[in-house]
Amino acid sequence: MRAFRALPYAVCVLALVVTGGCSSSSPDPGSSGAGGVVSTGSVKRLAVTITGTTVTPAPAQVDLPLGSTLELVVTSDHDDELHAHGFDVEEALKSGVPTTLRLTGKEPGSYEVETHEPALTLLTVAVR
Amino acid sequence: MALTAPQLAPGLIPGLAPGLVPAHGVGSRGDLPLPFTALVIAAVAALVISFVAIGTLWREPRLRDTDGVLLPRPVAALLDSRSLRAVARALAAVLTVWTLVALVLGPDSARNPVPHVVYVWLWVGLAFSSMLLGPVWRVINPVRALHAGLLRLARVSPDLAALPYRWGLWPAALGLGTFTWVELVAENNTSLGFLQLLVGGFFAVSLLGSAVFGRTWFDHADPFEAWSRLLGLLSPLGRRHDGRWVLRTPLHGVNGLRGQRGLVPTVAVMLGGTAYDGFSANLSWSTFVQTSPVSSSLLKTATLLTFFGLVAVTIWLASVVSVRLSGEPFARSFTFVSDIAPSLIPIAGGYVVAHYWSLWVYQGQYAWRLLTDPLGTGADLLGTAGLVPNDALIQPTLVATIQAVSIVVGHLLGVLAAHERAITVLDRRAAVVGQVPLMVVMILYTLGGLTILFAP
Repeated sequence: MRAFRALPYAVCVLALVVTGGCSSSSPDPGSSGAGGVVSTGSVKRLAVTITGTTVTPAPAQVDLPLGSTLELVVTSDHDDELHAHGFDVEEALKSGVPTTLRLTGKEPGSYEVETHEPALTLLTVAVR
Repeated sequence: MALTAPQLAPGLIPGLAPGLVPAHGVGSRGDLPLPFTALVIAAVAALVISFVAIGTLWREPRLRDTDGVLLPRPVAALLDSRSLRAVARALAAVLTVWTLVALVLGPDSARNPVPHVVYVWLWVGLAFSSMLLGPVWRVINPVRALHAGLLRLARVSPDLAALPYRWGLWPAALGLGTFTWVELVAENNTSLGFLQLLVGGFFAVSLLGSAVFGRTWFDHADPFEAWSRLLGLLSPLGRRHDGRWVLRTPLHGVNGLRGQRGLVPTVAVMLGGTAYDGFSANLSWSTFVQTSPVSSSLLKTATLLTFFGLVAVTIWLASVVSVRLSGEPFARSFTFVSDIAPSLIPIAGGYVVAHYWSLWVYQGQYAWRLLTDPLGTGADLLGTAGLVPNDALIQPTLVATIQAVSIVVGHLLGVLAAHERAITVLDRRAAVVGQVPLMVVMILYTLGGLTILFAP
């Protein structure tokens, strides 16, 4: 049963490879990920800028505890529609004018915030 | 599920800016990433299962079509009864007509129930009900019923066909691939015009196909019948060799499927499509797509096709190594890959449960709110307008557990099915070595599936 003695090591190596692979290719899901998130009490603030098809800070997952609110300030260099899935919020974006969305986490899950023209994912909100 | 069109829950939009048309869609809620602990436990379980399996499993073919626990006579009689089938068919027909009315006369907005019926009830719901009850679509398929009805009206044999059919599951693979593309890549896939084209096209192709090739068309070429039949193999309900109803393991159903034309591409589409769905929810991927100079539809289409191709190529490469290890000629790999393709069905089933559980539970209920008002007139014909989907079954811990368990159980069943098939079709001494490449591929699929669920 030599093979079985080596098994735990093989498992560890594989698990490391798998997790290493993910964390190098994507933001760590454990932290709130997105740069620029400022927390004050139960309110988090994040400013997002859209230039053409580039989203700054780069799209990431923002953790939002149940009952907390994310204040999302979005400024785009073109007219667009802003849509927060699952929060059922849709707002018109005017070129250069900051638009604020207040998103309160009610149901656990992962929700995308996106624009429609062009279709861009700005971030996902992980409510838990 | 990542439908591409703007998605909104209707009727809950107080802050909707004037001038913005309410958008369409299903599934605005996604699952939280799989917790790291669940990922590790599931991955370790899959690896241990595979290693133990190689060393300790049975050495003689073991699954027989005489196995199974006979159902009590009254239950079997009920399952076989004409009236049960007639009721199921009638309900399916009513739902079809109801949906077609909404498709033709309903509003082009998020209040229209058609996207939920097509993408949630038909696609995901059919998968879940088939895994539970068997190939139900064969019984209730409204297009099959329409074809049979037309032939009866014309007073001709139900077996009327102009040409013999000989493409196996290939058309089903194409159909499933197309539907997956529509669901995951096509733009505006929940707009009414798009859905009219989709449903109209499907009816036209089905009626044409069945007119030329007879009802065999539905047995082999219809994508939803293939989806339901293949996933239905996993059902604990089945028929023994003598046609009597039994309770049996999912392995018996899978083992009963013989290699046939087009089975490998069909399974590749089933597995690859679900994997792409999970993968495309990854934020790094969407960032890459939206900042890439290449058109995003093109990029997504190419990636989806790559996922289909990866599954087909990896399973074929594994079977090449298998037949070489067991000292058989290279050409044998083409029949062997078809022989072992059924053992990927449990893995595909596990992926489906893991990816669509919460969508099915939540949006499946939500569909009732929309169906009650098919024309968007504010009617409440079914009394379900105020239905609030029950969220007890989509609590994050429960969802993560279901995801990890379904992937691991799919892997376990896949390994067992491949083992049984390997010792059946390969030379006995070679079978143990011969199944190792398959197991490696299955481990890759399972770890890949888990990673996809884990990466945000």
